[in-house]
Amino acid sequence: MRNLFTCFFLLCMLPAFAEAQHRVSGRVTDALTAGGIPGVTVMVKGAVTATQTNATGNYTIDANAADTLVFRSLGYAMQEVPIANQTSIDVVLEGEGTELEEVVVIGYGTQRQRDLTTAVATIRADDIAKTPNAQAMQSLQGRVAGVQIVSNGAPGASPTVRLRGIGSFEGNSAPLYVVDGMFFDNIDFLNPNDIATISVLKDASASAIYGVRAGNGVVLIETKSGAYNKPGEIVYDAYYGIQNPQNVLKMANTQQFVRYINATGSQADISLIANAMQRYGRSRLDPNLPNVNTDWYNEIMTPAPIQNHNLSFSGGGESTRYSIGASYFNQEGLLDLQRNDYRRLNFRVKVDSKVKDWLNVGGNFNVSTARQYNGENTAWFRAYFSVPILPVYDEDNTDASPVKYANAQKLGYRGVQNPFFPLEYIDNRNHVAKLAGNFHAEVALWEQKLKFRTQYNYGLSFVNTRRVDFEYHDGVTQHQSAIRRQNTSDYDQVWDNFVTYDDDFGKHNLNVVLGQSYRSEYSELLFARGTAISPAPSRAAEQYWYLTNATDFDLNNIGDADGGTLNANLQFLSFFGRAAYNYDDRYLLYTTFRRDGNNKFQKTWGNFATVGAGWVLSQEEFFDVPGIDFLKFRASWGQLGNDAISPSVGLPTLQENNGAIDGTRVIGRRLNPTFDLITQWETTVEKNFGVDAQFLNSRLSLEADYFIRDTRNLAVTIVPPVFASAERRSVGEIRNQGLELNLNWRDHLSEDFSYNIGGNIATLKNKVLGLGGADGLNAGSAEFRQRSIIGQPYQAFYGYEVTGVFDTDQQIQSTYNADFAAEKSLVPGDLIFKDQNGDGLIDDQDRVILGSYLPDFTWGANLGFRYKKLEFAALLQGQTGYHILNRKRGEMIFTNDTNIDADLATNFWTEEGGSPKNYPSASGLRRSWNQVMSSYFVEPGSYFRLQNVRLSYSFLGREINGVTWPETRVTLTADRPLTVFKYNGFNPEVASGVDREVYPIPAIYTLGVTIKL
Amino acid sequence: MKAIRNIQFVAMVSIGLLLGTSCSGLLDEPLENQQIAEGTDYTQTQNMVLMLYGAYNQLYDMGWEVYPTISVRGDDIDIGGRGDQPLFAEADSFRYDRNFWALNNAWTSLYSDLIYWQGAIEEIQKYQEAGANQGTAQQYIAEIKVMQGFEFLQLARMWGSILIPTTSQPSQLFNAELSSFEQVMQHVSALMDEAIPLLPTVRPNQRTDIPGGITRYTAYAVKALANLELKNYPAVAEATGQIISSGLFSLEPDFYHLFKLQGKLNNENLLELQYSDYGTPTGTSNKYLWDFFGPTSWTPARSGSSGGWGFWEPSMKYIQFMLDRGERERLEATVIFTPDGITELRNAYPGAPSWISNVTADGDQFNNSVRTKFYSGKHYWPSTMLTQGRTAYGENKNFTCIRYAEVLLIHAEALVNGATSSAMTADAAVNEVRGRVGLGPLSSVTLDQVLDEKLAEFAGEWGIRFYDLVRNGRTAELSYGGRTYDAATDRFYPYPLQQQDILPQLRDQNQ
Repeated sequence: MRNLFTCFFLLCMLPAFAEAQHRVSGRVTDALTAGGIPGVTVMVKGAVTATQTNATGNYTIDANAADTLVFRSLGYAMQEVPIANQTSIDVVLEGEGTELEEVVVIGYGTQRQRDLTTAVATIRADDIAKTPNAQAMQSLQGRVAGVQIVSNGAPGASPTVRLRGIGSFEGNSAPLYVVDGMFFDNIDFLNPNDIATISVLKDASASAIYGVRAGNGVVLIETKSGAYNKPGEIVYDAYYGIQNPQNVLKMANTQQFVRYINATGSQADISLIANAMQRYGRSRLDPNLPNVNTDWYNEIMTPAPIQNHNLSFSGGGESTRYSIGASYFNQEGLLDLQRNDYRRLNFRVKVDSKVKDWLNVGGNFNVSTARQYNGENTAWFRAYFSVPILPVYDEDNTDASPVKYANAQKLGYRGVQNPFFPLEYIDNRNHVAKLAGNFHAEVALWEQKLKFRTQYNYGLSFVNTRRVDFEYHDGVTQHQSAIRRQNTSDYDQVWDNFVTYDDDFGKHNLNVVLGQSYRSEYSELLFARGTAISPAPSRAAEQYWYLTNATDFDLNNIGDADGGTLNANLQFLSFFGRAAYNYDDRYLLYTTFRRDGNNKFQKTWGNFATVGAGWVLSQEEFFDVPGIDFLKFRASWGQLGNDAISPSVGLPTLQENNGAIDGTRVIGRRLNPTFDLITQWETTVEKNFGVDAQFLNSRLSLEADYFIRDTRNLAVTIVPPVFASAERRSVGEIRNQGLELNLNWRDHLSEDFSYNIGGNIATLKNKVLGLGGADGLNAGSAEFRQRSIIGQPYQAFYGYEVTGVFDTDQQIQSTYNADFAAEKSLVPGDLIFKDQNGDGLIDDQDRVILGSYLPDFTWGANLGFRYKKLEFAALLQGQTGYHILNRKRGEMIFTNDTNIDADLATNFWTEEGGSPKNYPSASGLRRSWNQVMSSYFVEPGSYFRLQNVRLSYSFLGREINGVTWPETRVTLTADRPLTVFKYNGFNPEVASGVDREVYPIPAIYTLGVTIKL
Repeated sequence: MKAIRNIQFVAMVSIGLLLGTSCSGLLDEPLENQQIAEGTDYTQTQNMVLMLYGAYNQLYDMGWEVYPTISVRGDDIDIGGRGDQPLFAEADSFRYDRNFWALNNAWTSLYSDLIYWQGAIEEIQKYQEAGANQGTAQQYIAEIKVMQGFEFLQLARMWGSILIPTTSQPSQLFNAELSSFEQVMQHVSALMDEAIPLLPTVRPNQRTDIPGGITRYTAYAVKALANLELKNYPAVAEATGQIISSGLFSLEPDFYHLFKLQGKLNNENLLELQYSDYGTPTGTSNKYLWDFFGPTSWTPARSGSSGGWGFWEPSMKYIQFMLDRGERERLEATVIFTPDGITELRNAYPGAPSWISNVTADGDQFNNSVRTKFYSGKHYWPSTMLTQGRTAYGENKNFTCIRYAEVLLIHAEALVNGATSSAMTADAAVNEVRGRVGLGPLSSVTLDQVLDEKLAEFAGEWGIRFYDLVRNGRTAELSYGGRTYDAATDRFYPYPLQQQDILPQLRDQNQ
């Protein structure tokens, strides 16, 4: 090895001597399929000479007779073959089964997979591209054990990402994204096609190098680069598809609704049905029903197109490599009628150049601009509640203008209901521009052993939102026009400087990194609301939608500060180091240390360390177990911090308030004696134990991890006596623990047919361990209580346990204390709540944990085969062991004159039939006894989903009429075509667990094409 | 070449180290836009008034749930709003749930005001020490004490024994002992005695610095109310006598308009919460959430005006009581009828007069509602009084807390209970209130007559009726319309569960 380095060094020094003299050719084939592998990079070790195999796997290269050739290709183990005067060298590359040699990005450097002592999962471009979505993280769903992805169906919206559970009471527990060295809170601006790899640093040992920002986990993103000595390549990649609403929730139709209303016995509501019959006529099929039967979801939803186009240019010469790309993404929303779509335009350039043999300089620029029209989300809520006996339009609603939408108030209902009012008369637009720029220089200080790298990253983010309320009359109430605009700008920078030392001493391999980093985050906010826009906004004249046309301003809605979270000017300074040692590929040691300084908390400096060790048992001489090719045990311990929590001043503050004194607005001050005291970031300590193994000539691979992740110093709310505003203190403690297992089998039956099958599972147990002295901490709303209780999951649903429905009065008498039953006027058809403490009555003491919204089991399974040029891949996934609060049904406590879902309408308790599903009677739905938080509202959310099915066919180097057809692949994809679940909503994925108005997740069917020139 | 690289290396490392050391100062950058109280420059005495403005803003900023929690339990008013907020209906029927969110909110809202006001007093004292005008500072503090007195009164009326904060630190209450209902009222009375000499002797609407603000007579009124709860009738008569003999206050001749635009900063008001839409058709507005009282369905005289949630239903008992008395003016000003309500009334009270209508004097027509049969007239704001362009129910309406009529009638209540006063006789006080609505004079008024007059006058306002009945031991009246009032358990609300979890003394007291 030493000689090689010397050789490399000499070659660097003396390029004049490194001239090609010897021609070598050969074929590179796949170990599994024995087929030729196209696109393998073949390079002369230590030199800049390189080429690529053609479509059949053949190559030719000029080198010195004494050189060594290096063969590498994504998804294959690298191989080195000394030329030794040969002129023909055929190489067999081990397929993806031996990922062990693959280089994994680990933050401020890389490591071979086989050397890892930490838990890192890497997803590559191929898999990312399989998911037709604006957001790259969506493609991880079901693919990575321990990463929970909660999809979001709204156009362009980001999924919720949780790494190994919830370790913070604040924020959304989102991980840190490091894009080519720059820190981001989310990567919604990135085009998935621009990403080469996504590395999920799952355990604390892997992410400890990111110190105080790593508490919620770290996701490293490398964008695509060019390659040295690679002929220029043009790739056009596109898909077009249709999104189809899935699992649309069935609401009660007019017949079911009328049956339900009649069963309530409420004369007032029955009279409203009579009003509908009077206003809209009687049904010809059943004269007891109004002649209206509106399916509101059907009215507001429509299948919508989605498309994506990428054009990229990449390649490289001897000293420069480049990757340039542009992409356009467009996704229409499922909401009909008005604007609900997302489109994004991305440009990127990434260039690296060996300016001198000792200096490599590069830059990277990624511009992303997006426009998002958010259909008014209230429409989903309204569609659920609007009665089916109301039509969309009502010509008799003559006061309504400009459009004569039907208004349920005209029938006597309390609310307007009709979802078309918010859809038509509210326009939400977001303009999002993000820019990530990066400059780096790498200096070889001592041969290739000691390198210094400096990289400066800048991240700019501008989010400008505009909400326009139109002036309209709903037939009863006049609504004023208004415009609200909000602009936020973020200016973030990171400057890293570090040296890397890489050396071998016999069987000892050592990699050391020492560095320093400066980071700052600065953000600004401005918002204002103007009313009575003149001219009144209309969709035909968007050019007048400006605040300058507002007649009045809402002074209570103008500002440039939002608590302590925005207008922040945060500074961070860090020092870090890493040492990775490996003896003979058998014994592995790994340690990192980071010291982070900040101006955000009272405590300025924090230290984060990790140690890890690995033992590759299969490398031991005594190890000789047939069938086991590789076996590694690893264990690690690491510390992390989470600074993504609101800071605190730690002292009483003066706050401004305002009010009217004799018609004059006065600004006053008040002393808030309570204050948050967040002295420091949240701290995590995680232990991780893992096994990596490969069996049967690497056909079968296994990865398993067990972790215990404890987070302390959590910012939690302490409720002070009598005072309405709570105080935050760094006193909470929470534990996440779980097991992750990944098993994959790949094999080939012939050169033409290969297949793979695999799966992953992850368990998660989330438990609150401390709240600074309190037994529990309330969350959710008062009516629908969630509570974090010591020893129980974070923000678990908390209420009464339903054991059935009372069928008889005797049953009521025998269940509760007679006085209590009489006072509550219980009747058959009311829910039976379990009297947990057996005192004969139901009160707050009888509440119990009803479930958590965090799944305790997630899984994914994949299946794929390739037959000649046809490839098939399928992914299944599911989540179980969690609950959803059906808040839509719960809305009955506030407004009871609305529609209900069909399942409830057909299964409510009746005297004759009881209720097989333990639903209250129709009238019971309206009694407060049945409206309290109970397991009736908390439903299991488990689901199984066919996540992604993909069929592709490649036309490789085919000649048509004497012209070589460019490499072309045609792909058919069905994304999330089937989801199976029992939950009474149309989407079992609810990030917060509370389903009030969740955007449905559509199935997406796309046709894609990739052309390489 | 190696040398060059070594130089390069040294240079790079130096830059790194330089950066490291020069940046460490950045970590001392303060957080943006946080006004730390400690950093206040108290010599800037012109800022002292900001604390007083802040105190008024705090008083005026009242959550919608606080008022019904204070006021719902009497036989004058029912909660209405059927199908929404069932626990309010339970509370209206004296079935209290300590886990009811509104109980906790009312508790914390009122207490937060008390704590903020204590903080304001402490801050004003610091300005005074730094050289602010002593008289001004003392007057400001006195005004704030009156606000505190008014809310102490509400807290103790609802919960009986409560905690009295003496500093601006809520944590001080961990170890505080409960003060009994009587002790709280004595505390309020003493607080008013401290405030009275420091306050201006004008009517609130005569103040030029803070029109509608607190004056000496507001303090007398709060003192009288506290002593009334103590049944310290001489003190009541003395305090009310001071207000009456000032000659500054008079009853608004038009009872209906007392609760409309004309009632804003009226000569009858001793304390009112002020709101405004600032006279603009849209834009900035500070308002109470009147939607709570608004109709779920109406045909407003000015088309397009918004309704509300359909709460606050005057009781059928009250309506019949008023019809029995032959009253029209106060009934029509207090109760708004719906067609269903009128039908129900005629069924129950065949002699109901023909003038009962679901159209108000200002031409707003109230339609049927599943939530309520009657609406509150005192909390109604005619659509035609909305500033042109505004549509929100009640926007620009003030919320009156203490009126001169109450001063007159508690003066009478004190006198019929044995107190004496040279300011005015009980008969004169009652007859002044009756005279405003054209009722004939009474002579030798009895406690019954005073309480009836108070019911007729104050229905739906601040729970005055409930606290009258409880204080005078006439709680049989509260068992009406299916309700059963148990004097042993129903006078006070249970302490909110969330507060019991924090304060063990509440838990102990509750057992």
